[in-house]
Amino acid sequence: MRFPAGNTLRSWLWLLVVLALGGLFYWGMQRNPKELPSVLAKERRPAPDFTLPVLSPYQEEWGKTFKLSDHLGGKPIVLNFWASWCYPACYEEAPVLEATWRRYRDRVLFLGINTQDKEGDALRFIEQFGLTFPQVFDPRGRVGVDYGMYGVPETFVIDREGRVVVRHAGTIDQATLERYLKEVLP
Amino acid sequence: MRVWALLFFLVLGVWAQEKPASPPPDLSPEVFAIARELRCPVCQGESAAESNSGVATEMRRIIAEMLQQGKTRDEIKAFFVERYGEWILYEPPKQGITLWVWLLPVLGLALLGLGLFAYFRPKKPLPPELLEEAERRLKEP
Amino acid sequence: MTPALLGNLGVSLALAFSLLGLALSLLAYSQGDGRFLKGAKALVLPAFLAALTAFLALEWALLTHDFSLAYVARNHSTQDPLWVTLVTPWAALEGSILLWGLLQTLYTLLASRKSVDPWRASLVLAVLFGIQVFFFGVMATIASPFETLPNPPADGTGPNPLLQNHWMMAVHPVLMYLGFVGLSVPFAYAVAAMVVRRYQTWVGETRWWTLIAWGFLTAGKVAGMWWSYEVLGWGGYWAWDPVENASFIPWLLSTAFLHTAIVQETRGAFKAWNFAFVTLAFAATVLGTFLTRSGVIQSVHAFAEGPVGPAFLGFFLLVTGLGLGLLSRVSREVRDTVVFRLLSREGALLLGAFFFAGWALVVVLGTFYPLLVEAFTGAKVSVGAPFFNQVSAPIGVGILLLMGVGPILPWRRPRAEVFRNLYMLLAVLLLGTLLGLLRGYTFGASLAVGLFLYNTAAIFLLVREGVLARLRAGLSPWGFLENRRRVGSLLVHFAVALMGLGIAFSQTYRLESEKTLYRGQAWEVGGVRMEFLGVRALDEGRRFAVEASLRTNRFGEVRPRLHFYPQMNSPLPAPKVVYTPGNDYYFLLMDFDREKGEWASLRLIVTPLVFWMWVAGGLMALGTLYILWPAPRREEVRGVSPA
Repeated sequence: MRFPAGNTLRSWLWLLVVLALGGLFYWGMQRNPKELPSVLAKERRPAPDFTLPVLSPYQEEWGKTFKLSDHLGGKPIVLNFWASWCYPACYEEAPVLEATWRRYRDRVLFLGINTQDKEGDALRFIEQFGLTFPQVFDPRGRVGVDYGMYGVPETFVIDREGRVVVRHAGTIDQATLERYLKEVLP
Repeated sequence: MRVWALLFFLVLGVWAQEKPASPPPDLSPEVFAIARELRCPVCQGESAAESNSGVATEMRRIIAEMLQQGKTRDEIKAFFVERYGEWILYEPPKQGITLWVWLLPVLGLALLGLGLFAYFRPKKPLPPELLEEAERRLKEP
Repeated sequence: MTPALLGNLGVSLALAFSLLGLALSLLAYSQGDGRFLKGAKALVLPAFLAALTAFLALEWALLTHDFSLAYVARNHSTQDPLWVTLVTPWAALEGSILLWGLLQTLYTLLASRKSVDPWRASLVLAVLFGIQVFFFGVMATIASPFETLPNPPADGTGPNPLLQNHWMMAVHPVLMYLGFVGLSVPFAYAVAAMVVRRYQTWVGETRWWTLIAWGFLTAGKVAGMWWSYEVLGWGGYWAWDPVENASFIPWLLSTAFLHTAIVQETRGAFKAWNFAFVTLAFAATVLGTFLTRSGVIQSVHAFAEGPVGPAFLGFFLLVTGLGLGLLSRVSREVRDTVVFRLLSREGALLLGAFFFAGWALVVVLGTFYPLLVEAFTGAKVSVGAPFFNQVSAPIGVGILLLMGVGPILPWRRPRAEVFRNLYMLLAVLLLGTLLGLLRGYTFGASLAVGLFLYNTAAIFLLVREGVLARLRAGLSPWGFLENRRRVGSLLVHFAVALMGLGIAFSQTYRLESEKTLYRGQAWEVGGVRMEFLGVRALDEGRRFAVEASLRTNRFGEVRPRLHFYPQMNSPLPAPKVVYTPGNDYYFLLMDFDREKGEWASLRLIVTPLVFWMWVAGGLMALGTLYILWPAPRREEVRGVSPA
């Protein structure tokens, strides 16, 4: 303060602070604040187990309940959380999931988890898109919390060792889904 | 009663986020106290106590169940951190990277105190006639 | 003539007049030619009229359901009630910017009527015109309220349901903008003062503006808190949400400025602080808008992201850079040479201002810390209410302590009799706190009781002293009321103490509980017994309402509701709040049996002393108004005389 040099330093400091603030905010605008990392996928944690009732159209083939751990360790698994009220995102990705499932069904298991929904609405949705991969029913959304899910739709990919390797938030498209599958397929 | 219910669902169609038919459980004040410290994952800056989204409702339910099982507040918070990461805690932990957000205000306060001390301590006492002069100049038009 | 045409004309003209005005006032300063200044002044009214035309054009479009305008199609519906339609101009981004611009032209108009020397007058006008150029420039380019749609829909969705749920939302944004814009005038004067190096008089000349800005900001904040309390359905008034913080920061900084300005006015000190505070306060209003509109931070209040983010960021940096840059240029000339004592009026005022500014810094830190952490480590963290509450509590205590002693202390140095008063006040504080502890309150709540009594006692002492002095001089004691500044500020201080009490108790003793009741079942909680009688549905045109009937033992029948809007995923609870001087009872319908209406899930929140916070808010506005009320003639004369 006593030296002129100190004074110029201080005036530059102001400029620096203002510029740093501007840089930080500008950077902040470039990113999506809603994007949240998944603890499971980041640490490649073993997929949390669950047992859920299978929706009626699939009970013949998959039984009354579905226990995830019975299917881990074999084929990779794609878990898709969805709900009939999630419009339009879930409606956009349902045909993509169905088509991919048909192509990969001998090598990958797809499982749909209907979350916080009503059974009637869920069945209507399934019929509308003619979904053939197994669908389970979680009206409370408890499994979603175990997976650290924050909103439907969300898709998790589990590798052959039963670890979560990918969490995709929002609508998924064909190319992205296939890229994920390449990662877990031999 | 039934007529409106029918009408109601016809109109609401796909938008309404339907809840399961079973009534929600009872929630004690303790549930809300814990939920208030947890972030609602799907919301934009609301706590799990405030939000009415499906995830927040389920979080409150889980908290109520865990309390019934005799879990402590810390155990319940740890349960959610395990799944969502520390992001879910509204109170940043006083360790690691978020320690600084707690330390900086204290440091700032200390600096402020030091600055004030210097400010109020007479730099060098001005002669009284100069002070009077300054006062007089101030009053001049 | 269509609304779109008229509106675009208004915006373009306002922009043209502002640009021309900016050029002329800069010329007036650089050439030292009064004719240019005259020209610039002549453009102030046309700019206002053009902005008004644009605003009325938007209202016209809304009232005539002109869905060819994108703004109308997005934010209006033929189902909207008249009052919602009338306030829709500030229900979304483009309209809000138009309102802001309109208010800025109005304030420029009012501010330009004050006569100061031609050099500063041209600079003040240049700054104000510059601000107008920014707003109308944004409207003319990236956020036009008059953008048209090629295929207009037959009807729109209406404004965000949260905004049409309560009339307070019609008032809150206008009050906030009036406050934000109000700070532009002291800022413009400060810039002029730093450029022409006449540092003393601007604070006095803009005192009125500072107060009016502060009054509106305060009223706007309280209105927002009330809206949050009555509409958002969580029974709270303050969530430390980033956007709430963003409008709290200018309030804190303008409060700091308000107090240090008094010192400069009376003692000529703290010039540098005043320049810094007014710059930061005005910059913070722009920052708040940037936060709301850029999607940089998650918030309930964040509006749709648009291209205005970078524009507001640039403007914020410009304002900060201009103010602080000029300040650093003249910093050596505005240093304080007078010696201060901590135990003096100016000492207390400066310390108080530091508390407010420090608080603003803490809020900034907490709000942006997650962004900072993410920028440097990529990790996501949250800083929320628990942090802000813990950090704010000691700052609030410090402010309440200073608020009591400050007005008691004389300027320069304390006299002996002052110490007697101080000891007495300290005794009141201790006794009040002890009383609270004896009644079984927590330490924090007890301290709040002590601080409230302490501040009330301080105000009592001051009033008594003033009245006694007048009696001794043989004057009517009522004449004390003519000292508007003193009486008004004491009223505001009392309101702040009351607010502090309300905050402390409502934060400490909040009871929140939820239960599912079957028809005929009763529930007793927080001293209220309620029996669930049933639910019924109402078709209200733009929304469905489901209403639960509760028979209570104390408030008769209470009917909380759930509102279903076609554009919302989940229903919005519309609480029923029963205000009482002791506790507020907040009834919420959370869920109900959709098949037979057999059960309903109800939440009751009991919060003490919230009622008094709204009273305090009213008193703050009243106190500010009392100071601002047209003063006797002699005040007026002192205001304009060159100092």
